[in-house]
Amino acid sequence: MFEGFFYQEKGVFLQSLHPLAAVFYLGGLLVLTLLFTNPLYLLGLLLVILLCIAAVRGWETWETYFRLSLSMMILVIIINPLLVRTGETVIWWGPRLPVFGRLTVSLEAVCYGAAMSVRLLAVISIFCLYNLTVHPDKVLSLLARFASRSALVLSLATRMFPAMLRQMENIREVQAMRGVDFQAGTLKERLSRYAALMNILLLSSLEDSLEIAEAMQARAFGSGKRSCYRQDTWRPRDSLCLGGSLLALAVAVYGQAKGFSTFSFYPQLGYLIPGPMTVVVLIIILLALSVPVVLSWGWQRCPYIKAKI
Amino acid sequence: MPLYQSENLTYYYPEGEKPALKGINLSIEEGEFLLITGGSGSGKSTLARVLAGLIPDFYGGRFGGRVYFQGRDLGRMDRRKLAREVGIVFQDPEKQLVMTSVEAEIAFGLENLGLPRVEMSRRVAEVMGFLDLAEIRQEFTAHLSGGQKQKLALAAVLAMQPRVLVLDEPTSQLDPVAAEEFLNLVKRLNEEMGLTIILIEQRLERCFHLADRVVLMEDGQVRYEGTPEQLSRWAVQRDIPFVPPVARFFARIGFPSIPVTVKEGRQLLRSNFDRREFPPLKPAVKADPEEQVLAMIKVWFTYPDGKEALQDISIQIAAGELVALLGANGAGKSTLLKTMAGLLKPGRGRVQVMGRDLSNGGRPGDSRIAYLSQNPNDYLFQDTVEEELLSTLKNFGLPDDGIVDEILEKLDLQRYRRANPRDLSSGERQRVALASILVARPRLLLLDEPTRGMDYPLKEKLGEMVTGLSREGVSVVLVTHDVEFAANFASRVLLLFAGRIVADGPKHQVLGQSVFYSTQIGKMCRGYVDGVLTLQEALDRLVPAWTARQVVR
Amino acid sequence: MAFWRKMLLPLALVFIPGLLLASIKINAFLLGQGWGLLALLIIIIALVLMYWGFEQGRVSSREVAVIAMLGTIAAAGRVPFASLPGIQPTTFIVIISGFVFGPRAGFMVGSTAGLVSNFFLGQGPWTPWQMFAWGLAGTSAGVLKTGCPRAGKKVMTVFSFLWGYLFGWIMNLWTWTGFIHPLTWESFVATYAASFWFDTLHALGNAAFYLFFGSSFIKILQRFRRRLEVRLLPADS
Repeated sequence: MFEGFFYQEKGVFLQSLHPLAAVFYLGGLLVLTLLFTNPLYLLGLLLVILLCIAAVRGWETWETYFRLSLSMMILVIIINPLLVRTGETVIWWGPRLPVFGRLTVSLEAVCYGAAMSVRLLAVISIFCLYNLTVHPDKVLSLLARFASRSALVLSLATRMFPAMLRQMENIREVQAMRGVDFQAGTLKERLSRYAALMNILLLSSLEDSLEIAEAMQARAFGSGKRSCYRQDTWRPRDSLCLGGSLLALAVAVYGQAKGFSTFSFYPQLGYLIPGPMTVVVLIIILLALSVPVVLSWGWQRCPYIKAKI
Repeated sequence: MPLYQSENLTYYYPEGEKPALKGINLSIEEGEFLLITGGSGSGKSTLARVLAGLIPDFYGGRFGGRVYFQGRDLGRMDRRKLAREVGIVFQDPEKQLVMTSVEAEIAFGLENLGLPRVEMSRRVAEVMGFLDLAEIRQEFTAHLSGGQKQKLALAAVLAMQPRVLVLDEPTSQLDPVAAEEFLNLVKRLNEEMGLTIILIEQRLERCFHLADRVVLMEDGQVRYEGTPEQLSRWAVQRDIPFVPPVARFFARIGFPSIPVTVKEGRQLLRSNFDRREFPPLKPAVKADPEEQVLAMIKVWFTYPDGKEALQDISIQIAAGELVALLGANGAGKSTLLKTMAGLLKPGRGRVQVMGRDLSNGGRPGDSRIAYLSQNPNDYLFQDTVEEELLSTLKNFGLPDDGIVDEILEKLDLQRYRRANPRDLSSGERQRVALASILVARPRLLLLDEPTRGMDYPLKEKLGEMVTGLSREGVSVVLVTHDVEFAANFASRVLLLFAGRIVADGPKHQVLGQSVFYSTQIGKMCRGYVDGVLTLQEALDRLVPAWTARQVVR
Repeated sequence: MAFWRKMLLPLALVFIPGLLLASIKINAFLLGQGWGLLALLIIIIALVLMYWGFEQGRVSSREVAVIAMLGTIAAAGRVPFASLPGIQPTTFIVIISGFVFGPRAGFMVGSTAGLVSNFFLGQGPWTPWQMFAWGLAGTSAGVLKTGCPRAGKKVMTVFSFLWGYLFGWIMNLWTWTGFIHPLTWESFVATYAASFWFDTLHALGNAAFYLFFGSSFIKILQRFRRRLEVRLLPADS
């Protein structure tokens, strides 16, 4: 139940990355996506992300994410042109509204909205990729090094979540057998039946939490300074991916500073490709970010690479 | 010097008026396998917590007397040091796992001890090897089976390399196969690794013979301590039920030696009882066909993940029948029960209860069907026991025509009428949950593992109650792993395997023929004398054939 | 390590305002289009700070277990309930947890609910924002309790109601800062108007939960809170 999104071990390459490398790569993607506004760059990033998703065989999950982001994309596409009046090339003059004044739609704003919807999709896809590649446990153990207590709370809650849902379902069944009809009655009646259910859940879980605490105490929790067990193996593949991410970030900062990768929408659309450097920077960034995809491909096809990385 | 030595140990819980332990003087030797038994509320779990150092550290309360561990006062010992020496495994595996993955779970205690990483890696690897957990190293702990979870809890404690292992009813939530496996492990730990084992248990069929010494507790005091054989003899004279059936049988007839395993019992039976002398089996009384309460016709059920949990099930259950549903984990027992309750709709086939078709549409909830799940806490949310009963009546729009009083009386709950059900013990909570469904006067009562975690007297009481109900015409179906309970009280047994019914008939027919699903006494008599499953039957049929007795006469 | 642990708070305190100040400058560097990035950074730093606060206090095993359990319940509350579409008690549970167990616990319950539920319902860019919003709801309820311990049903119902909107507004920030440019008041209002009905439903749900069930749930938590303290009584001789 509700575990469609929960991490599944598929034995694919990207899932074997060290959590630090994976988080750094995904974080790098996120930063770049939020940094660039250039439509070409955004599309390029989206392409890399989608290739990664294909490499972890995550199309099905991505579809759900895509459907989820559609409504937000539409919102972004609508709000930008309708409410931003910085663009000069007006393509539609709308009626006058009391608060907002006269509605105008400019070509620039339409383009900006479209670019931003691509950015939105890219951001959501990055998180989809995160969901597919990084085991919650790995991040929690990374966190445990700095904040062991918070990490413990989080891992306890993660472990108990499925059981909690199951228990909720059990209570619902049991109460239904006792004649509680969750579907019928006014809203208030239904709400109070639901609250009764939460009430039972709360009472039982609080009792259970004492037993969990006891088990923790029996295993020496809180008896002094803790140490940290978890160690993940750092392999050549992690260095390669980390290197790729760093290179991409560095080149991006260079491109942004020199203005190769920037694109201005307002007041008038700039040139998409003002010079050859724009393309060069883009290609370098995309290649650097594609390291995991290429490695994943090689890992699948070529036993030599598999053994070396 | 004994490992543990308690002197006049007395303890009150913070809210307790009565002492949970009073005046306990007990010593435990290194390397011993000690079994502590007794009824619910006898103080055995409290004692376990004292030995593990959780009382009074974790619970507070009033603590009197002294407990020495290796000659040192337990109360003054450093908590970290104590945790290294003594490990404890609790009843419910669900409530003692903390981390998300198996490996991290095992390491949790080691991290708390602040061990260096190299040491941790070695210990984790060792324990995983010993308990065969390497396969599921990366598994999400929430997805493990009950047996695996309990094994993991044991592994997590063993990694801390304790000298003493305290086990507080570790198998009460497990199915028989997992329980057997768990206890075998414990036995190996005791024999091979020399760990001192302190096992708290109230169901003794599986562990009685493992113990070097048994302590029987009652009302917070040690009532008796001795070898299993001594205890059997002593307890049977006083009609105390904490002895497994085979031992109880031999002790009861005054046999000179008391066997603690089925194997010993079988040998004694064969050499001392003349099979020619067994009185003939009484033919089973064929009851008149009664009114039919439940009918399932070619029922199939498939879960969304594609698992066919029920395949072509057809059953008819008449009024007043008491049916036990046995089978391994995952055989579909609970699914079948829920289908009978109308909580699950069959994909194909029909389910009819008293003429009402449950298989199509319609929400669950019918005052004629009562369903008791494994967790009585799921029922309790009102402020008093009485309100809990009234709420069911209100939901079904039934009047209180004295039924509340009647049920409270019947389940011995009158004195808790105004009590908050959450303040009661687990056995009492289960009775409240049962009362809250019986108050609607159901014709079909469905019970999911009602004997889980119950001691002998409580089980006896429950058994008498359901038998009484079935005499009044209520059909009872109970899912259970407890073959002893089924043999004592059921009239008919259904055996489920992989979603199909593989045996269905009167209990003697099904349990008598089965090699694995049989009682201790049944196993002892198997192949030597037929139709003996329970202690009472053994007394009736075996005793006349006891050769030595005939000589004396 | 210990050094960094000590320096974390002062560093962060310098960093956030510094970042805000620099944002004017940096923003020029990003051609005024980097607000999304900055907002994300600020949120993450705020979360780090709050977690750091939780790490510093003394917490017993009982408290850890109870906080985790409440966080799990709040997370489970996000799972839609068939007969009540759109109504979920997560915010309500976070608020009463903060109210009874204090600001730090309130934050942990809220942020845990945000993170853990998304492990199962799908992580997204909304995760840090939800963690922050729910964490803040819990913290503020705890602060309210310390500020005016007599806050009764009326105050708390209004408080829960307001959090319905506040939650939505915090969540809107990421859409607004990340994908709309330039950031004008009109676009701000429009983004918020788009979520108005949704937020109203959330606020009404919160208020209804608090009005009808607040006191009974708080009673349960308070009764339980007393059991968290270990009372050692003198042994009578």
